Amino acid sequence: MDPSSTGIQEPFDLIRLSLSERVYVKLRGDREVTGILHAYDGHMNLILSDVEETIMIVDVDAPLEERRAVKMAKRKMEMLFVRGDGVILVSPPSRT
Amino acid sequence: MDETTPPPPPNEASPPPPPPITTSGSPTDFLKGVVGKRVIVRLTSGVDYRGVLSCLDGYMNIALEQTEEHVNGTLTNRYGDAFVRGNNVLYISAAEAL
Repeated sequence: MDPSSTGIQEPFDLIRLSLSERVYVKLRGDREVTGILHAYDGHMNLILSDVEETIMIVDVDAPLEERRAVKMAKRKMEMLFVRGDGVILVSPPSRT
Repeated sequence: MDETTPPPPPNEASPPPPPPITTSGSPTDFLKGVVGKRVIVRLTSGVDYRGVLSCLDGYMNIALEQTEEHVNGTLTNRYGDAFVRGNNVLYISAAEAL
């Protein structure tokens, strides 16, 4: 398809190349997690370890344009299963 | 003085020329054409991702390079590579000539 330098033929290749690496995952509900990627499947269900979750708490009374995170809550988890339908974006560590 | 030449008639019959079409074909042809090009991917949440489209699949899962995340037009994040899960995609817009 794209004979570019990266050698990625389908989007899941990006995830496959990130196994055992720390990834950033943006989730629905203003949540993010970072963790070591152990496994994934076609639904983008993920198994992560050494996880830190960041929850953005937004002021729902503010007008839509001014709505931003007023508070960030963080928590750590040793092992986490992420259900695929909550995933918006996965970013692997920068490959150089 | 020359009243034999009438003014040119208003040519209301001819429609305005169609807008220039940069590409034609099916949606699949469009998507094949934008691989490797700069695109703007908008998600249903309204967030935009601008970057180079590495590839995409039948679910419209997308791999982007040199990705910038824009919320309300302001840059909020940068990712070297990004995988976007297809169900979140609203549209893919070509950001450079095909």
